[in-house]
Amino acid sequence: MTQTDPATQLESTTLPGDINMWVMVLGDMVIFAGYFVIFMIYRSMNRQEFLHAQQHLNIAIGVTNTVILLTSSWVVALAVQAVRAGEFEKSTRLVLAGGVGGIAFMVLKGYEWASKIAAGHTNSETFYSFYYVITGVHLLHVLIGLIVLGVLVRELRNPAKRRPWMAETGATYWHMVDLLWVIIFALFYVMR
Amino acid sequence: MSVLTPEQVSPTATDGGKRDVWWMTWFFPAWYGVFGVIICLLTRVTPPPRPDVTAAGKVAFFAQHHLTIQIGFTVLLVLLGGAAMTNGLVAYQMKRMSVGSAFAYGYLGGMSVGAIPGFLLVTVCFLTAAFRPDRNPELTSLLYDLGMLSYNGSLGCFSVAYLVLAIAILYDRNEIFPKWFAYISIWQIVTEVIATQMFVFGSGPFAWNGSIAFWLAVVVFSVWLGALIVLLRRAAAAEPVDAPALD
Repeated sequence: MTQTDPATQLESTTLPGDINMWVMVLGDMVIFAGYFVIFMIYRSMNRQEFLHAQQHLNIAIGVTNTVILLTSSWVVALAVQAVRAGEFEKSTRLVLAGGVGGIAFMVLKGYEWASKIAAGHTNSETFYSFYYVITGVHLLHVLIGLIVLGVLVRELRNPAKRRPWMAETGATYWHMVDLLWVIIFALFYVMR
Repeated sequence: MSVLTPEQVSPTATDGGKRDVWWMTWFFPAWYGVFGVIICLLTRVTPPPRPDVTAAGKVAFFAQHHLTIQIGFTVLLVLLGGAAMTNGLVAYQMKRMSVGSAFAYGYLGGMSVGAIPGFLLVTVCFLTAAFRPDRNPELTSLLYDLGMLSYNGSLGCFSVAYLVLAIAILYDRNEIFPKWFAYISIWQIVTEVIATQMFVFGSGPFAWNGSIAFWLAVVVFSVWLGALIVLLRRAAAAEPVDAPALD
């Protein structure tokens, strides 16, 4: 990727970031699509039960988390633009700000889990067993994303590195985390 | 890379590799092929039998399949060491990476420990049930549950092996395996961790025959294993014949 002839690297036609990360992102979305389809099948079989259980989810927290992740994703996109423009100081600050969004998301999600478990909504209910597994796998993705952003900050602080494709690769992953959450939010919190 | 023309690359890609490594590289899919026949056709643990049946139903399962279970798992007891050999081949390729040997030993250790609940315990449980049909049905039922939960639900040690493999690939500068394989190995961790849910659920998507806990995990494992077989061949071909032996 990095050794491609610069003359062939037209901004508009090349894939941003690293092809290996695209394998991860597209494959991951296929796996999550599998989770979503299975969730929908069980939902259609137990429609009343799922609707009843869904009433206990706090939509305000869901909306807040969605706004946090969308903002974080936007900030990381700005960071990529800054790297392309050679503004590495600004870019580092933006990536750190994106990471703060990820941490805030995890804190809110942790609070939501704790309050649901305290209220007795454990994985003995089918809806909540889906909820804990799917949001849990997503939380793991957020955690991996924070590691990715951390690697990116280390890269940007080292003047010998600072490769734009690394920033694009990290941002690609972070946008996927965001996209998956938007779908989870729609399926679990909003859909009636 | 860009200065090399295809003519210069192809001779090493087809003729490269050491003879002993090639033997192991062929042994790898052969062993998994035999393993697949044993678990799918003979011992009937994949696709899994139902978790939500009565003790009488579990006894009937062993009565119906006792001969193939006896043949399949007895053969597996003999061949189980082959799993260690396949792991040894992956560890060999990991030792060729730039990251040092510790990751290879971590992979080898994690896979070996994982094989005890993953293969050996179900083998012993099912053989005990199949060879002692006159035992109390409640005890046979316990062997059925214990075997299946161990076989599908306790693969935590494997996930540590996948983690060290993923980290080693991401840090490696010798390009032994492509980076995307590290990411596929991380999916494996996720599916193995979700599989722990089957201890809680007797039916539904998270039971040991569930669509999420079992079937999605099997699809991911099949993709992972298929990719590994291809990548091991590629790694073997890329190794120069005259490369010095590893420590």
